[in-house]
Amino acid sequence: MEFGRETNVIKLDEEFFKEFETELQEAGMSINDLRSCIQCGKCAGTCPMALAGLEFFIKKIVHAATLGLKEIFLDDSSVWGCQSCNRCVEICPMEIKPYELIQAIRRVSFREYAMPSNTIDGLQNYYKLGHAVVVKGYENRRKKVGLPELPPTTLGNKEMRKKFQEMLKNTVLAEVAPFPLD
Amino acid sequence: MKRIGLFLGCNIPLRRPDIEYSMRYVLNELGVEIVELDGATCCPAFGTMPSIDLVGWCAGSAWNMAIAEEKGVDMITGCGSCYGSLNEARYHMEKHPEIKEKVNEILGKVGKKYKGVVKIWNFYNYIYEEIGIEEVKKKVKYPLNDIICGTHVGCHNLWPSKAYSTNDDNVFKPTRIKEICEAVGGKAPWYSTILDCCGMGALGSLAKEKSWALWRRKVNKMIEEINPELFVTGCSSCLLRYDNDQALMKKEGLIDFEIPAVHIAQLLALVMGAEPEKAVGLAEVPIDGIITKIKGGK
Ligand code: SF4
Ligand code: SF4
Repeated sequence: MEFGRETNVIKLDEEFFKEFETELQEAGMSINDLRSCIQCGKCAGTCPMALAGLEFFIKKIVHAATLGLKEIFLDDSSVWGCQSCNRCVEICPMEIKPYELIQAIRRVSFREYAMPSNTIDGLQNYYKLGHAVVVKGYENRRKKVGLPELPPTTLGNKEMRKKFQEMLKNTVLAEVAPFPLD
Repeated sequence: MKRIGLFLGCNIPLRRPDIEYSMRYVLNELGVEIVELDGATCCPAFGTMPSIDLVGWCAGSAWNMAIAEEKGVDMITGCGSCYGSLNEARYHMEKHPEIKEKVNEILGKVGKKYKGVVKIWNFYNYIYEEIGIEEVKKKVKYPLNDIICGTHVGCHNLWPSKAYSTNDDNVFKPTRIKEICEAVGGKAPWYSTILDCCGMGALGSLAKEKSWALWRRKVNKMIEEINPELFVTGCSSCLLRYDNDQALMKKEGLIDFEIPAVHIAQLLALVMGAEPEKAVGLAEVPIDGIITKIKGGK
């Protein structure tokens, strides 16, 4: 080096970005779109997470993703707290769809087992019953308001539930589900 | 006669079936034939398949939409998340035919096919656009008698507007729910936090306190500005926050108010004469005062 000592700088070569970028791209986020972010901060200004105490939530995420900082997302579960409200998508002047980036980061993190446990519970319910959210006592609640105990969904239709599970076995769930599909 | 496929989702049939009852009641009253979507599933919810895999999400949504397509009907839902998940999946497949192709390979293995012709409505847009406010007015038995409604539309009902084939004219200044409340005799004034999120999404399960505080921040402002007698939501998840969670917050001493809450389908069911025991039979914040006011002063 010119001054005779090593300096700690981020290696800004293509390789550094590539791996995470490829993963995000495969997970459904257009890297071309992402790169057009102008860091205007509109997404962060409209994001309800700011009112919940997570200031600049989505702007930081977009920024970290453009820098290829994958580790940040594996250590920090806050992408899983996003409300999926799409305010950021609606407001972004560059049409980057920041929420789709959140989804892509979640997809990449999931494959590294970096996800909250309720994601697994929801997914397992979804596979087993066809419903991600099943709160006990539904039969009584339905009866109370004059409805049949079981709804006409896969919960009340075993044959369709089997078929639905067969269908899911042909999705990526077969490879990545952290529970057996049987 | 109009026909529509009733998409139930999870929270409506399993947690708040009084909303399901109300949707059925109102559609019946308005002369719409309800077609059951046998074997439909979760939309799927954003924290599940959509967070795992894009094609898997679209396959899950397409499973539901294919059921409606087989029966030759469009779909209606009272849940904002279902409305969002189904419409976004639909949009992804429309924009990216290669995703749709992969989805149909997956569905084809169990003899199903997604064509991409079905339209997904949320409850109030269907009422507003397909039925019309004048038709609704004709069915009102018990008008709201100027009850002040604190309206809350729900994020997914508005955004991302690109994915929705129908919407309020200005998605940052929605008026459709307000117009419906006023058509049935209520008052629905604007307040400064009207667009704020209720906090009921993933944040609710990951950081409950933060998400409850988000709701209180919004609602305290609303109370200060318009002092609502009734909360009216356009989404079942928001209703869980406004009613079920409000009751919990009251119990824990976090709030000092008690304001009943209904989904817009429940509001219409009540004014159209449905039995309150069924239309709002699972409400947790006491709602008798409102029922008396509606039924009392005809
Ligand atoms: S609104 Fe869009 S362009 Fe602006 S900082 Fe957010 S992602 Fe970047
Ligand atoms: S979708 Fe997520 S990141 Fe975007 S504004 Fe809503 S909470 Fe914030």
